[in-house]
Amino acid sequence: MLRWIVWRDLTLAWRRRADMLSTVFFFVIVVSLFPLGIGPETQLLRSIAPGVVWVAALLASMLSLGRLFANDYQDGTLEQLLLTPQPLFMVVLGKVLAHWIVSEIPLVLIAPLVGLQFDLPRETLAILVLSLLVGTPVLSLIGSVGAALTLGLRGGGVLISILVLPLYIPALIFGAGAVEASIMGTTPAPHLYLLGAFAIVSLIFSPWATAAALRISVE
Amino acid sequence: MNIYKYASPTMFYPLAGKMIPWFAIPAAILFAAGMYVGFFIAPTDFQQGDAYRIIFIHVPAAWMAMFLYVLMAIYAGVGWAFNARLASMMASAIAITGTIFTLLSLVTGALWGKPTWGTYWAWDARMTSTLILLFLYIGFISLQSAIDDTRRADRAGAVLALVGVINVPIIYFSVQWWNTLHQGATIRILGKPTIAPPMLAAMLIMLAACWLYSMAVVLIRVRCIILEREQNASRFAEVNA
Amino acid sequence: MNWPDLSMGGYGFYVWGSYIFALILFVWEIVSLKQRRRALRQQQREQQRSSSVSPSVLTGSANETTS
Repeated sequence: MLRWIVWRDLTLAWRRRADMLSTVFFFVIVVSLFPLGIGPETQLLRSIAPGVVWVAALLASMLSLGRLFANDYQDGTLEQLLLTPQPLFMVVLGKVLAHWIVSEIPLVLIAPLVGLQFDLPRETLAILVLSLLVGTPVLSLIGSVGAALTLGLRGGGVLISILVLPLYIPALIFGAGAVEASIMGTTPAPHLYLLGAFAIVSLIFSPWATAAALRISVE
Repeated sequence: MNIYKYASPTMFYPLAGKMIPWFAIPAAILFAAGMYVGFFIAPTDFQQGDAYRIIFIHVPAAWMAMFLYVLMAIYAGVGWAFNARLASMMASAIAITGTIFTLLSLVTGALWGKPTWGTYWAWDARMTSTLILLFLYIGFISLQSAIDDTRRADRAGAVLALVGVINVPIIYFSVQWWNTLHQGATIRILGKPTIAPPMLAAMLIMLAACWLYSMAVVLIRVRCIILEREQNASRFAEVNA
Repeated sequence: MNWPDLSMGGYGFYVWGSYIFALILFVWEIVSLKQRRRALRQQQREQQRSSSVSPSVLTGSANETTS
């Protein structure tokens, strides 16, 4: 069942490749805005890079969350999914996994290029990618709760952002902190461990909360 | 006597009305008493001079902001788990009062920060966590006001409040972590002044006053919510009769 | 009873500013609640005038209806 949901969502997303690409473009554009706004001085850029890249990843994730359940809700598939005897937890997990592959992995892959804009050393680029790899599941998982709660409501994207961005803050702190530690020359390990712990906790609790929220929104 | 009849909004309404003065009047008295002890009896602080007297409103406000969020989450959770409408209404009633105390805590914290640390906003762990708490309150209120169906609004709010309440310790920990990393070379003397008994007494009296005030105000608001829902229900019934 | 230094050692703006802001918030909360309640009671009276059957918290009838 899980595999079927993931495969289905991936196929649907592939048919709308433009959506996938738009998330990545948004990420790149937002990151590029900061040097334009602040100035090209290398030292300064290097110090703001971790925060800027991470915040841009948060914002790009927010944009893609609207699509997580909305399409299925509109054509009635979601209601059918709620009626299946399969545990809703697994359905949610499948959709979140697909969302992560489609919307977050591209960000992870393009992060090194973006990091070069800020003149980050090679080891730091690796840590940047690693932090995003560990942290982006959190963005999908917690974001799915917000997406489920706001299903069908007016105010859509902005409302999801208000609900979910405060909950992203621990991931932001640990993720950006890891990259910054790498720039400073200290070990990023504690940050990454905490980020990983946060990801595991999210993995256990969010699908359950999202499933509950889906039932509430659809009935 | 069956106490469970008061779980019904219709029965709770007059009870709440009678309870309000029993909270409001002691609240006013305790506010006056707290201010008296805080300004006339508590001595001037050695380090911070008279500027420290802000804590008599700042600290109670910060505690209320936290307590009310937890209370709101509990009421929302109970309302969802037991399908108890009145509990959900209480959660919605608490939300605005909680937001007000959070805002008060932030502003008084900033006004305390300027004379003591030299800056209005210092990004220390406690104030930053309070700012995030404000975002969580605003999220709860925004979500409920975006949903027209009261049943869905109650339950969605419950999910959000419970997710928030679990996250608050995590957020606080991560902010503390973040703060200690970025301390830098300057060592700031944060925290409250050395607590003399009259100072502690004034803070506790003001805290009690804030509690009583909150109870009174939340009861007034929940009565408004009961009226609103009843009106919507009877309008609905008329149209469908 | 010793009168405190009303200028608060020069920090008057911060100390009194805090308490005045608190007062403004509390007064705003109470006043807006009173307005909300007044508007609701008025709506209720109009509703009771136009429809004959309306069980209400105010008339004390404890019927549980379609809420």
